[in-house]
Amino acid sequence: MVTANDPFATYKEYGKEQGYDLRWLERRDVWGQQLDSTAKKGGLLLQDVDSGVAAEVPDESRNLTGRTRGSIPRTGVPRVGNYSVRTKADIWLRNGAELYEEAVARQWASATDIPWHTIKPLPDDIERAECQLATFITEVEFVAGDVPGKWISAVTPDYYEPRMYLISQVMDEARHLDVFRKRALVNGGGLMRRTGNTQGVVGGNIDSARDFTEMSARLHISGEGSVLTLFRMGELMAYNDAEKHIYRLCAQDESRHVAFGVMHLQYLGSIETDRREEIQSYLDEAERALVTGASGQNPAARGLASNAALAVLLGGGDDKVDEGMKTLLAVRQRQVKEYVQRVRVAGFGERFENGRANPMLEQYLKVY
Amino acid sequence: MVQERQQERPPLPSLDMSWKTQTIQWGTRAPVHKDGGLTLEAINTGAYAEIPDYWEDRTRMPRGAFNPPGSSGVAIGGYYLRHKSDLWADNAAELYEEAISRRWSSAESIPWEKCRGLPDDVEMAIAQVSTELSQQASIEIEVVSSWLQQMSYGYHEVKVFLATENFDAGRHFEVFRKRALVNGGGLGLESPGQVNRMLLESRAGWTETSLLVHILRGVFTRTVYRYLAAYAPTEVEMLIGRRAAQDKTRHIAYAMQHIKYAVNHVPGQGRAFNAGLTQAELVAARDDADPVLWECLACIFGGGVRGMDAGMKVVARLRRTYVEDYLQRLAWIGIDHRAALSPEYVRLLEA
Repeated sequence: MVTANDPFATYKEYGKEQGYDLRWLERRDVWGQQLDSTAKKGGLLLQDVDSGVAAEVPDESRNLTGRTRGSIPRTGVPRVGNYSVRTKADIWLRNGAELYEEAVARQWASATDIPWHTIKPLPDDIERAECQLATFITEVEFVAGDVPGKWISAVTPDYYEPRMYLISQVMDEARHLDVFRKRALVNGGGLMRRTGNTQGVVGGNIDSARDFTEMSARLHISGEGSVLTLFRMGELMAYNDAEKHIYRLCAQDESRHVAFGVMHLQYLGSIETDRREEIQSYLDEAERALVTGASGQNPAARGLASNAALAVLLGGGDDKVDEGMKTLLAVRQRQVKEYVQRVRVAGFGERFENGRANPMLEQYLKVY
Repeated sequence: MVQERQQERPPLPSLDMSWKTQTIQWGTRAPVHKDGGLTLEAINTGAYAEIPDYWEDRTRMPRGAFNPPGSSGVAIGGYYLRHKSDLWADNAAELYEEAISRRWSSAESIPWEKCRGLPDDVEMAIAQVSTELSQQASIEIEVVSSWLQQMSYGYHEVKVFLATENFDAGRHFEVFRKRALVNGGGLGLESPGQVNRMLLESRAGWTETSLLVHILRGVFTRTVYRYLAAYAPTEVEMLIGRRAAQDKTRHIAYAMQHIKYAVNHVPGQGRAFNAGLTQAELVAARDDADPVLWECLACIFGGGVRGMDAGMKVVARLRRTYVEDYLQRLAWIGIDHRAALSPEYVRLLEA
């Protein structure tokens, strides 16, 4: 039916006469609202695009057909969405789109952005330690590719912003796997020993988490937090510009990953207060892993080959591992300090005042 | 494994340094090229270039690393695709590096201000096509990402390439969302959904899924991208279509190489795929019966609703081009599908 307010009335009239369906020619709530891509530095950003129904993020999603948020549902479409994450609080954070756009803007290439030519032959003990550390990081980095990958397909597209962020994280981790493998094989070395992690038997690892927030606490807050601290201190263990670049660029990426975890915990903790105790229990586990190295994700954790390799690198050779160990303890102290700061920002800092935090954390902060 | 002799040194009491004595191959020095830098392909050298036909390990042990003494590695969960023929493609490492070197940003690489002032009907048609393409990309993300954890570490080149595909698909999701919303057209009707369901429900194996998501759907999507670029009303749609088609070509290139490898190494697989594709085309035909996408494309190609009759001729050409391209890709893979083509697809060829 043609109405006076319908901007498409004449088209419809003509189209119907010609036998066309034209059901797509209906005015939307945002009709005529132009977006200005020049208003902000950085172009047309995802966080600035949505308005009207497209911007309405439901607390509970009933979208089971995989439609994009804000599109118009049709009858007769099969339900395809086996989405286990359909509650906003389970996945949401306030800056998911921003983190995605930042990831896009800061992509880099391991092939050409690393000055590989600055790597010159190193003493054998140093090269072996470099290769051991690179083997460890190559092994653990793509846990943060595979596991977010699994969750991407479990999140309803109504929460596309965190999904987009997770996609960018998978890409980042692919690059980290690749850049450290390249480091192991570029300078007369080779790959070395993998970790002996056995958590596949009893669960409790990043892979086995059955809840997104549980996974995120293990991955983003604990695992990647520890690696981020190490990357930030990369200057101390780099022997050339190439390695400095690798640590600097990887730290930049890891900062986003950790920020995601912190911001998600912050959101969840503020919305679903009845889940705070549950989150605290994930942090109990995270702290246990942090002080014992049980997660297998912290290269500086005692007992791992990567820990010994770091002592060699930080000390300056096999004969200086005692000095290296002192620096490594400072690294571990900083890992603990940064962890405490992240948990405070996420809104769960009361555990450091009420005696809940792992006592060994305090020991680290006091002793080292 | 070569056991190397450790230099004579006093033992370090607090640190286990036994890891220093073992390596599959020491002395590896991958070449750094002046222009291309250090590529993933270049580090496949010596023992590290050996790609096994079967990867035993179900941990994240990197190819070429070794287990701690006395340990065979405890499976983490996942990593069930362990035959090379399940996922391998010789071009995966090269495509990975290409994806990174050709990265683009929808925020900054598209001159968004240049798509103003289109006729209302064309704007609405573009918004509808963008909604459809955005959803197709969203489904592709769900399909591909759900397989990553099943893929063994022995074939890391494929895993990292698929990470780039996911990233590409993410960009396609958001660039078409932005296009639908930038001029106030708004998001349109969701997809009819039959092919989406088929892609998500395809769990026989990654190769089967790849055949559907990359060849059946991917070749179609690329054809639409190319026609959008060719008949773009403004520079914005032209650039989006071109860049998205470039990305999609990489995804198809991986699939062609992989499926060819699988067909050549798994007896009977080619014949099974031929029959499966006929069924898949019948599913696609159910989506194709919906007029929304065709009308919107016709409106864009014809310059408006009043030009849709002429636009429909271009749509018929697009659909014919798709089926021809689809058959050619399959023939290259080693699947002669022409005789098994579904009646609906035969009709498109004859149109």
